[in-house]
Amino acid sequence: MNCLQAEEHFSAHLEDTLDYQTLQGFEEHIAECEACQHEYARFQESVKAVQELPQIEPSPYFMSTLQQRLATEQRQPRGVKEIAVTGWRRLLDTLRRPKWAFSGMVALILAAAGTYFYQEGPLFNRDSHQVSVAPTSQRQQIVPLPEMFPSAQQPRRLVGDNSQLQQRSVRSTPAQPMHQRYMLKQVSYTNVSTSGGL
Amino acid sequence: MPELDDELMERYQKGDENAFTLLVRRHQQPLINFIARFINDKDSAEDLAQETFIRIFKAANRYKSEGAHFKTWMYHIASNLCKNELRNRGRRDRYRVDNVVNTGSDSDGDTEQVDLIASAPANSDFQPEVALERKELRNAIQKAIAELPEQYRLPLVLRDLQGLSYDEISEVLELRSGTTKSRINRARLMLKEKLKPFI
Repeated sequence: MNCLQAEEHFSAHLEDTLDYQTLQGFEEHIAECEACQHEYARFQESVKAVQELPQIEPSPYFMSTLQQRLATEQRQPRGVKEIAVTGWRRLLDTLRRPKWAFSGMVALILAAAGTYFYQEGPLFNRDSHQVSVAPTSQRQQIVPLPEMFPSAQQPRRLVGDNSQLQQRSVRSTPAQPMHQRYMLKQVSYTNVSTSGGL
Repeated sequence: MPELDDELMERYQKGDENAFTLLVRRHQQPLINFIARFINDKDSAEDLAQETFIRIFKAANRYKSEGAHFKTWMYHIASNLCKNELRNRGRRDRYRVDNVVNTGSDSDGDTEQVDLIASAPANSDFQPEVALERKELRNAIQKAIAELPEQYRLPLVLRDLQGLSYDEISEVLELRSGTTKSRINRARLMLKEKLKPFI
């Protein structure tokens, strides 16, 4: 063992954690090397001096100040960010549980399979009498209420042109609430035809 | 027999607020000592210790006794707060003279004299010169600790001033045991060199 190696074991020797072989090598080197003897003695002294530093005591107001701060913390409403972070952590904690993780995975697979079959349409196009499903934009149409248009022609003309209708309606009846101005009409399978194979 | 920290935390999680007060009373002094020695500022140490307890208070519901020990968890939070404080302080002003622990500066001279008189034992063996020397040595040690690089200072303070085991320090600092041991030895060697004029 040389001086640098011996220096690496100063703490371990001081705390008596060296294994037998290293201990023998260390003590042999220290016995021979005067410089290391001196350095090790100083090392021990400085460690002892550090360990003997007095403890710093808290002020007498520490506890009362802390209690005030804790009370303030409890009164403060939680910020949106904190709520979001806590919520996200709770969700992650829940999902980490095997039961929930498995259920989530099954639900995801079912959702993916459902989407696939719906797009492919093998269940809904069995025969030629099947009602063809219109695109979403055509299925949902905004139909103005009859009292908004005295003339019978106007509503028909406007059906299917949502942007135009919205602009006109808003301009013509600004005082009316939204739910009175528009009625969302959902065209479903049942009110188009029930003669299909469903 | 006093209750373990983890038991107190469990009691607090179940709604017993006295358990938290007991935890604070048990750990306030070592925590303040640790922070004050680490950041070399006694006034900020109290503030940061309070902040540590507030963090613990707020995160108590997430605490799991089987995951980590309360003490190491507390020191982990405190050391992170200290690192942030030192980083912010480094940006603001590099040195603070007013609140440093045991500086030995001229402005502290009166206080030190008062301290020496106040701490003088009643017997006739008391020697002011020896007490003064001891005070100087303490100041020199604190200064030397403050000058150590952060990565060496933190394990040294936890080991030699707080008396944590190597395993606990490894847990606080999230280091391997070998790295912790080597850093502590290195820190002690550096300190020995810094204290050469005194020891």
